[in-house]
Amino acid sequence: MSEQRQALAPVKQRGFSIDAWAVLLAFVLAALVRAGVFKHIPW
Amino acid sequence: MASSIAVAQVRPVNPALQFLKIVPGVLLLAAVGYAGKLLEANVGKYAKAHHWTFPNIEYVLWAILLGLAISNTVGVPEIFRAGVATYEFWLKAGIVLLGARFLLGDVLKLGGTSLALVGIEIVGAIAFMTFLGRVFGLKPKLTSLLAVGSAVCGVSAIIATQGAIEADEEDSSFAIAAILALGALSLFTFPLIGHALHLNDHAYGVWSGLAVDNTAEAAAAGGLYSDAAGKLAVLTKTTRNALIGFVVLAYAFYWASRGQAQAVGNKAKFLWQKFPKFVLGFLIISTLATAAFFSKEQIGALANLSRWAFLLTFAGVGLRTNFKALSKQGLKPFAVGAIGEVAIAGFTLGLVLAAQRIFGW
Repeated sequence: MSEQRQALAPVKQRGFSIDAWAVLLAFVLAALVRAGVFKHIPW
Repeated sequence: MASSIAVAQVRPVNPALQFLKIVPGVLLLAAVGYAGKLLEANVGKYAKAHHWTFPNIEYVLWAILLGLAISNTVGVPEIFRAGVATYEFWLKAGIVLLGARFLLGDVLKLGGTSLALVGIEIVGAIAFMTFLGRVFGLKPKLTSLLAVGSAVCGVSAIIATQGAIEADEEDSSFAIAAILALGALSLFTFPLIGHALHLNDHAYGVWSGLAVDNTAEAAAAGGLYSDAAGKLAVLTKTTRNALIGFVVLAYAFYWASRGQAQAVGNKAKFLWQKFPKFVLGFLIISTLATAAFFSKEQIGALANLSRWAFLLTFAGVGLRTNFKALSKQGLKPFAVGAIGEVAIAGFTLGLVLAAQRIFGW
């Protein structure tokens, strides 16, 4: 639990939050798919 | 959600060094997730070839089980921890990309129904958890944290509320431990209950999104049932997440009015700060998909990217769950959380069954 205790310490965020970075990554990936850079993503 | 755990580990150091620090853990997430996918594909085939009766286990469960096995036996070595903590990042990216699989009309229709159910769930959950906290004699702020965690959004709601109502760190740790432990249990109990009650994908997905507190666990609990249930669980849970700011603001007002927290200045700014931005990302991608910005093949590609992101998330759910560490957090908050969660699960199941009749799902 010590990790969680560390996590609860106030963190001063600089720049983007994790949320914003996740959205940015998703948008970049969507743009690359739209531009045809990634034509097929296997699953 | 544990996003703040990931955030908190980011210290102001060289960005390149920071990036290198997360690489081993992300590779571990990928390895565990991919192993889960391989097991899904091959165990069934192997069992069939040897004429064994073996249930079809989806990659979601394999990835979680592998992660749990590592976390609860050898443990996750320090070198991997920063990267493993990024699993919430992949979850959020996956949710945004999942927007491509929803037409905006469906989002509004399903989201509208979900919003009504979420509103009832939030009020009921907060009232019941507050009552339980009083019955068990928990500290009032710990009760508030447990109520927010079980009503809205798990760990991220607890952390947001802790800052707003100036609760003790110890209270937050108790509340987070209770929510995480119960989230882990829900992964195994929800699909069993869903199958026992013969719930269809729609009803089960909405129920998971309403009753499971952490977004990662809600997505996993839905995905364990079926792909369609997973989609609906994410949509319903995202609707819950969208309301986080309002609930935290209400609690901030309540504690400020009692002189035990600072008054909130700019309310709009407060709401924007607490609003999960990935919800907006999801809506934007959904709008673009609805406007035919992406071709059918491109939507398929985005859906698969979303699945890969969720694969890392599910591996992370298993890897960060350590039952021994969670059990050390004290019995009372866990007991309150457990009783509350069982009651909320039953209450939301009743809501979903009623909605199923009304809307003909």
